[in-house]
Amino acid sequence: MNKSWKNYRADAFYDELIAASGAPRVAARRVVKLLQSLPEEEMASRRAAAELAIREMGVSFTIYSEGKNIDRAWPFDIIPRVISARDWAKVSLGLAQRSRALNCFIDDIYNQQKILADGIVPAETVLDSSNYKPQCAGVSPLHGAWAHICGTDLVRDQRGKFFVLEDNLRVPSGISYMLENREITKRVLPELLENYSIQPVDDYPSRLHATLSSLSPREQRRPCIVVLTPGIYNSAYFEHAFLAQRMGAELVEGNDLFVDDDDCVYMRTVDGPIRVDVVYRRIDDDFLDPECFRSDSTLGVPGIMRAWKAGNVAIANAPGAGVADDKVVYAYVPAMIRYYLNEKPLLASVKTYLCMNPKDRAYVLANLDKLVVKPANESGGYGLLIGSASSAAERAKFASLIEENPRNYIAQPILSLSTAPTYIDELVEPRHLDLRPFILQGKDTWVTPGGLTRVAMRKGSLVVNSSQGGGSKDTWIVEDNR
Amino acid sequence: MNMLSRVAERLFWMARYLERTEDTARLIHSYAHLVMDIPRGSEPGWDILVHILNTEPSYNEHYRAYNELNVMKFLIAQPDNVSGILSSVRAARENVRTTRDVLPSEVWEHVNELYLYAQEYSEKSVGRRYRYQFLETIIARCQMINGILVSTLPRGHAYRFIKLGRLLERADMTSRVVDVGAAALLGEERLHSSVDPLIWASLLNSLSAMGAYQREIGPQVEAGAMVDFVLREGTLPRSIKFCLNGIRQELSPLNNNKEAIRLVLKARRKLSAFDPQTCSREELHIFLDQFQVLLTKLYSAIDQTWFMTAERRATATLS
Repeated sequence: MNKSWKNYRADAFYDELIAASGAPRVAARRVVKLLQSLPEEEMASRRAAAELAIREMGVSFTIYSEGKNIDRAWPFDIIPRVISARDWAKVSLGLAQRSRALNCFIDDIYNQQKILADGIVPAETVLDSSNYKPQCAGVSPLHGAWAHICGTDLVRDQRGKFFVLEDNLRVPSGISYMLENREITKRVLPELLENYSIQPVDDYPSRLHATLSSLSPREQRRPCIVVLTPGIYNSAYFEHAFLAQRMGAELVEGNDLFVDDDDCVYMRTVDGPIRVDVVYRRIDDDFLDPECFRSDSTLGVPGIMRAWKAGNVAIANAPGAGVADDKVVYAYVPAMIRYYLNEKPLLASVKTYLCMNPKDRAYVLANLDKLVVKPANESGGYGLLIGSASSAAERAKFASLIEENPRNYIAQPILSLSTAPTYIDELVEPRHLDLRPFILQGKDTWVTPGGLTRVAMRKGSLVVNSSQGGGSKDTWIVEDNR
Repeated sequence: MNMLSRVAERLFWMARYLERTEDTARLIHSYAHLVMDIPRGSEPGWDILVHILNTEPSYNEHYRAYNELNVMKFLIAQPDNVSGILSSVRAARENVRTTRDVLPSEVWEHVNELYLYAQEYSEKSVGRRYRYQFLETIIARCQMINGILVSTLPRGHAYRFIKLGRLLERADMTSRVVDVGAAALLGEERLHSSVDPLIWASLLNSLSAMGAYQREIGPQVEAGAMVDFVLREGTLPRSIKFCLNGIRQELSPLNNNKEAIRLVLKARRKLSAFDPQTCSREELHIFLDQFQVLLTKLYSAIDQTWFMTAERRATATLS
């Protein structure tokens, strides 16, 4: 065994690759064996090769810092995360179930509102939320699908059980990194993939294309699909371009599109205007249509909401889908699954205290040091309080924030996130991670095999977001042929 | 296949900047090579390169004297010199970065590598020790990218606008090389005319036309014949005639191409009517000057017809 692995200990956490006994888990056995047998220089040189590949492939994300946009190379850890196909099959069913229920919920909220009338979900939590867009009421998108692309964050507790942390239904990103991670592993550790049967990930773009095609308002053999990006300075621009290219769709910016008097969307081309059927938009609702939402938006397309309501164009994800992407609504998802599907939830949710309920609020305020407090509708890991790592002053600040606006905060117990061996400097050390699979919902439902594993590169850190120093790993779903 | 106006414009400029990178590298390469052959005191000066690229104002902001080191620094490594290698490479990369979805993925990888290479080595390659290798590498990488485009890109709009950008830039560069070369060499004040053939040969080299010239015309490089060759030899890929023919060919399948085609045909007629073998240096200069104006008009016609969106036209008239 090479020295980098010598003192590897996962301590009290569930480790994805190494069991408590210190032996590799069955599905990961060959990966671990091979990596442990590599000489130390070889580990370092593979990492260097990965970094070079990332630079050459131009895999980057942009962060906004000190008034400047900086293009950073994508941080990648060469040791893959391995999950057995058997474990994954159950998770996958749970994700599909969840996505179906969430879409039923959104469709219900903008139409009959049965779930509110039946008192399953309190009406004010939904209708007073800034994620509820009254402009969308009365619209019935094809197949009842609103959240066509959902990125659900999963974590595992100390026993290895999967929990849903949140559902990202607005404009979830990360899929291109999942695909590029596999590409990098193939380039720099090809021998690792030998004799393994790993579920392939690279058909995602064609699955996405099929999902988007199924939304087209016109019966056409090849509907016109575009990816709408806010532009080069968006942190996920790389991904927008990547997906457009892989799908053979046009990558457009707001001013490439316009809505004509016939309420149809057109794109400006060198051959003149061409009608657009499906817009895979990667800009937020608020910026989508200055006629309907923020009037100062220069990123959007004036009139696109008109065209959408008239049924002349599909928008994915549908405007207003974010109503179910709210940490308060999250607490009601198990109830939704029972209500709409009459099924038992297959995936666990994290116990959630809603600060708007007086009883929960009292508990949260008394136990701030043991909880994670999150704003109800922020993403990217911003504005949260991790109780165990906070100062008294920070806790006091959050206490008053909660008192001021209880609807806007929820709290959850601090989970002991699972770890996986991660190559840091010269040593392999455990680091915490999560997993973001993607669920597609159009005419059919489809779940990615695995997803994007994000890893907190700082020792002990639980924050995995790339904007805050997180990295990523290739994620393998393998058949466990013992 | 559809082509967004905005994307067409960026592809066009990507190609222009790549061509500019390669042409500038060629020009410096062959000129620096030539200078080593010329006895001290007779060399025509480094300012000629700055004149060819028409960037005197920007040069004068940064440097005073036109010596080798300053000029090389300015043309190779100056980040804000729009005709310099470093900034052309960066501009090409920015344009690919925003159009990579319509290009073969290797194009982005190679343009990105070109950029990383220029970024890392331009500063170190100003001096004679590493300059040669640097320029050779830049030229080779540009050629590789063009090779990928030629051998993998379907002959649709993307290819069409790339080719238009490349040929327009190339025609522009060739006419400038001839104009300034003639101005410097045919001026009365210089005495050492014995080295002139060497300089003409160097300019031919910078247009990679030396071999072709020798085969077609002969080993002795003469001013009139050389100018005629690089302006009007239709088989020579860097001749102006070749560029105009290519532009004409790419324009014909496009919608609304009337104005642009009219201008290309006009340029072609002017070129055939002009006789470089008998003209004076003054006449040559006037001809090239008018020709450059035509190229600028041609660019505006392309810009107005296929690039300028309604919004931009509206804001342009407002401001």
